[in-house]
Amino acid sequence: MAAESDAAREAEPDPDLAREAIEYCYDHDWTDGLPVVPASREIVDRFLAATDRSADQVLWRMDHLGRECTVQTAAINAAMAGCRPEYFPIVLAAWDAVMRDRAAKGGGWQSTSGPAPLIVINGPIRNELAINCTGGIFAGGFRPNATIPRALGLMLRNAFGVVPHVFDQTTQGIPGRWAICFGENEEESPWEPLATEMGLEPDTDGVSVTLTRTYEFVDNRHTQDPEQVLWDFADTISRTGVMIFRSQSAGIVFCPEHAQMLAAGGYSKQDVKDWLIEHVGRPESALRRAGKDGVAQGGAGVRSASEAERVPADEFSRFLPGRESVPIIVAGARNAGISMVFRVFGEWSNTSVAIERRPSPVAAVGAGQGGEG
Amino acid sequence: MSAIMDPTGQSSRQVADGLALAERRPGLSGATVGLLENGKQNARLFLEEVAGVLRERYGVGDVTLRRKEIFSAPAPPELVDQMSAESDVVVIGVGDCGSCSAAAIADGVLFERHGTPAAVICSDAFKATADAMAQVQDAPGYHYITTAHPVAGLSPEQVRGRAEQVAAEVAGVLAAAASRQAA
Repeated sequence: MAAESDAAREAEPDPDLAREAIEYCYDHDWTDGLPVVPASREIVDRFLAATDRSADQVLWRMDHLGRECTVQTAAINAAMAGCRPEYFPIVLAAWDAVMRDRAAKGGGWQSTSGPAPLIVINGPIRNELAINCTGGIFAGGFRPNATIPRALGLMLRNAFGVVPHVFDQTTQGIPGRWAICFGENEEESPWEPLATEMGLEPDTDGVSVTLTRTYEFVDNRHTQDPEQVLWDFADTISRTGVMIFRSQSAGIVFCPEHAQMLAAGGYSKQDVKDWLIEHVGRPESALRRAGKDGVAQGGAGVRSASEAERVPADEFSRFLPGRESVPIIVAGARNAGISMVFRVFGEWSNTSVAIERRPSPVAAVGAGQGGEG
Repeated sequence: MSAIMDPTGQSSRQVADGLALAERRPGLSGATVGLLENGKQNARLFLEEVAGVLRERYGVGDVTLRRKEIFSAPAPPELVDQMSAESDVVVIGVGDCGSCSAAAIADGVLFERHGTPAAVICSDAFKATADAMAQVQDAPGYHYITTAHPVAGLSPEQVRGRAEQVAAEVAGVLAAAASRQAA
């Protein structure tokens, strides 16, 4: 009896020690404001065992900041973010995916825009790791969804030194900057998965990431006409506040109800994109009223107030330049017609990255941890 | 008891010896000036106006304008070589955003290390990131010139006014004893 309770007491972690270790990380300025999980050599080795990449491989180098991040440094930050070792291949693939974004390679992380990565996961790994794809995809409550994007944020902060108020010059940023990650609801989507659309083999584990600036809901549940729903999206996408350049890119995370209604009305994903490209925009007078009717020659065409009327006031300006500027994803619960419009920061690479898993050692680590799920 | 691992990858970082500025000419009279603009709104006009004042008051010679294609990154080595070859001094700007302010400081340091005196103009809203970049470039305390934020929305007349305000400091940074030329 006494021996048994001693053993039980021994197995219980010491909260004071845990707190002390967490405070140590705060003292070293290694956190995003929330507590991190201090990383030991042993746990980092378990992360490294989940990938075939070598610990000292350089994932990325930011020459202008004189900093780099190796696989091992990524593993330390992923562990600190609260990831489990089996999430690590997703963290690595997500990093590769976001760094395909031209803005991320340039100064995007230092930008006053303060863009947030949007991480979308496809394939069987979603269900194996209990990644949320349905109710509350933007609302938190699920460990992989919360910790994978946080790992990227910690890598940026700790490995590259992009810290708020210093190299991170975000003016306001967006809520949940390092918390936007979910699986596509492939089971309830009428269309092919995003990663398949982007060229990966069907049923491949894949991750797609783009930088985003904001998220706006469209709540429309009381019409049977798919075109009315599309007009509702077009209105939200067409606001002038986002028009800093000649054209813009906007995506939609459709709830299953909207996606299924559109599909039943005969719309493929590409049809939806084409409809939006045709109808999203404003008459020139709206841009002029907002001081955005001038378009700079060359480059992305920065908008500004122009002195003279450039084009007739009633001429319609289309905002979306092509299908690659309208990413479409299906996720969320099939319980209401509520979808989300998101704004792409710059241009999405329109690619997905395959998640490279090492099945055996990861499975062994998972089993060793008592099969928590 | 195991150690808490460091997430920065910084433990083995080498630190260089700081920045030795390029040698200054005694004055700016006849000096050729390179302008490195970053493509930001009003940057080109701002630099051209500064050059105009330098010509008028300090007697600088030919002025050559070059544009940096990627505002968020330091200038490519070929561009630094080219501008150093064609100009005695360079003026860089205008740092007016998160990444381009830091990159402008990196450019200034690059030119100094290349032996070409440089003056960097940056909006005062980005001092923290500019100073941090100077640290990263092993040039802590690097002196640059600030102008009030914002720059992008100014009218041409306002830009001219700003150029007037900073010109003397630009001249002071570029030459050892830049003095107003007798009219």
